[in-house]
Amino acid sequence: MEGLWNNIDYAASVVLFLIGLYAVIAKGNLVKKLMGLNVMETAVFAFVMATGIVTGGDAPILGAGAHEPFANPLPQALILTGIVVALSTTALALSLIIRIYERHGTIESEDLWGVE
Amino acid sequence: MSRAFDLVLYALLISCALMVIRTKDLLAAAIIFTTYSLIMCLVWQLRGSPDVALTEAAVGAGVTSVLFLITISRTTRRER
Amino acid sequence: MRRAFVIALLVLASVPLLYGVGQLPPIGSTDNPTYTHVVPRYIQQAEEEAGAENIVTAIILNYRGYDTNGEVTVIFTALVAVLGVLMITRSDSGPSVPISPVPVSPVTRFIVRTLSPFILMFSVYMVLYGHSSPGGGFQGGTIVGALLIVLSLVTESADVQRLLPPAVKVWLQPAAVLAFGVIGIAGLLLVGSYLAFPVEGDLVFLRVPWLTVIEVGIGVGGAVIVASIFWAMEGSA
Repeated sequence: MEGLWNNIDYAASVVLFLIGLYAVIAKGNLVKKLMGLNVMETAVFAFVMATGIVTGGDAPILGAGAHEPFANPLPQALILTGIVVALSTTALALSLIIRIYERHGTIESEDLWGVE
Repeated sequence: MSRAFDLVLYALLISCALMVIRTKDLLAAAIIFTTYSLIMCLVWQLRGSPDVALTEAAVGAGVTSVLFLITISRTTRRER
Repeated sequence: MRRAFVIALLVLASVPLLYGVGQLPPIGSTDNPTYTHVVPRYIQQAEEEAGAENIVTAIILNYRGYDTNGEVTVIFTALVAVLGVLMITRSDSGPSVPISPVPVSPVTRFIVRTLSPFILMFSVYMVLYGHSSPGGGFQGGTIVGALLIVLSLVTESADVQRLLPPAVKVWLQPAAVLAFGVIGIAGLLLVGSYLAFPVEGDLVFLRVPWLTVIEVGIGVGGAVIVASIFWAMEGSA
């Protein structure tokens, strides 16, 4: 329990990931599933950024007034790419949902069983 | 002191995520999702990364929410 | 019944995850394994080697430039896929379901039209100063894209689309990928390998224009891609 209290940032992102996973599995509406997928993606970003926390760290920008322990810049660079890729998959999934609605008239996954 | 603020922000994030899933009105869910993105942007800024905070604010609260609203206006508004 | 089963399964799955997370090295110390491997070299040598004061920009454009090349290709591919999925309805079923127009209040219209030049200026500043202050290419580009979206919501989409005639739009949408290609091949010819930066020698003064061309390319490309995705989903091409 003591280790978990020190790593409360990791635990919060695990809880958010499981909430998003519940939305993807148990909800019937496609737009709700997509929102759950976005919550899962941001939870993973929070986890990777939490590995880069430095207590008392400054933003990693050199210049006037920057003091020495810098926050870890490497997870930030990875997460920038991740946010753009999440935007791309969300845009494509939303356009597919619009097309499914135009074609079949419904976006509930129980009604979409067995259509071609 | 800043740990207490972090805990408050995490509690807000978890409650926003739960509310996004529970509401049956998809328009309300999209707006709560925008709030979730905004609080996540504050978390990034507190972790010492202004670049990621700018990107999350512009992409999450700016573009993704508008795309969700366009989709909801072209499909149904209420979940069954 | 099914929901209770899913919740029980997720609570069961959370136990090993939370146990594993509790065993990780404590957050915040500077002798984490993630902080002691490559990062001190990036922090100490980013200014001399990359010419950028913003270490994150130096990492994504110089040290890990191939990743950013892949990222702009991914978002361009997403635009192509969205146009491919949504444009196919135009040819076979005629005009799609129109969105009922809601009259926009004059307060909103006035505020948006007054703030637009300042937002544009701020985003241009963020793109050009990305290498020495928080910001960068994609941040400024997304803000311009969001500005075009808001202007389309307040006035007619057709008026905003007149700013980008199709002949110009076709060359601006892949602007990020083309910028990376041009800089990569210039690096191949001048220095020796694809997307290499001139580190020493008499071409060192080219480092900051190198970064600025890529950033402007990413900014312009990102803005037009985001606005095109919105226009395609709205139904007005």
